[in-house]
Amino acid sequence: MFAKQGNRRNRIDVKRLAIYALLVSICLIVGYLENLLSIGLSWVVPGVKLGLSNAVVLILVCRGDFKGAWAVNVVRICLSALLFGSPISFLLSISGGVVSTAVACLLTRFKSVSAIGVSIAAAVTHNVFQLLAASVVVGFGVMGISPLLIALGAVCGAFCGVLALIILKQEKIFKF
Amino acid sequence: MKKGDFIIIAIVVIAVVLSALAFVSFDDASRVIIKQNNKIVYDQSIDQNAAFNTGTNLVIIEDGAVYVKEATCKNGDCVKLGKITKKGESIICLPNKVIVEIE
Repeated sequence: MFAKQGNRRNRIDVKRLAIYALLVSICLIVGYLENLLSIGLSWVVPGVKLGLSNAVVLILVCRGDFKGAWAVNVVRICLSALLFGSPISFLLSISGGVVSTAVACLLTRFKSVSAIGVSIAAAVTHNVFQLLAASVVVGFGVMGISPLLIALGAVCGAFCGVLALIILKQEKIFKF
Repeated sequence: MKKGDFIIIAIVVIAVVLSALAFVSFDDASRVIIKQNNKIVYDQSIDQNAAFNTGTNLVIIEDGAVYVKEATCKNGDCVKLGKITKKGESIICLPNKVIVEIE
């Protein structure tokens, strides 16, 4: 915190820190509103959400800021589990979140994949690994809803991808 | 949309079909199985009307349909899910570790 000017190794980029904190809070409030209004697809499968906060992480990934994406995603998952969730919901979202972020970071290396493709792949892997974690908790019976979850993940992922693309085009807000 | 996106969508479609073939069966319903903490606590034909209480969830089986009437968890997703009738369908209550499935 009180590092001297010029001592680069210990200096904290305060601007970046503030931006990440802002993004985490955007993720949390969007996730909370989603829960509250259940914009999710709860009428198809209970507990399925649009995952708008993933669009925020996706924007960071698409700008090549992998470190920031990891930081925002992990902090978001921990905080939302503390605020709204339970130990089981934390287990589910951390297993989905870590794997999907890894997949998203990997896919951005391919030039032929746009934000939409990255988002779909990340959302589907998120759902698959969440389901695998759930099957560890309650048993293999949950795999019955896997086709539905994969399909819905693709739809939600496409939506978030389009959203991220729209936001990424507004270059004015990306001065950081 | 670029070329890679369509490849990803194609992979997703294949994954949906494969997982449907692997995990969902399309036969007529036959048995209702209720598991709690991974142990089978109820296993009867679906034609037999019954009300079964796991201690946390009240499961009703009537006229070939199965639903959870009451649950102690706070979000109550299993109650909101409503009735299941087909083989391979299931109701899952994660907080109480209860699975109701038709096999």
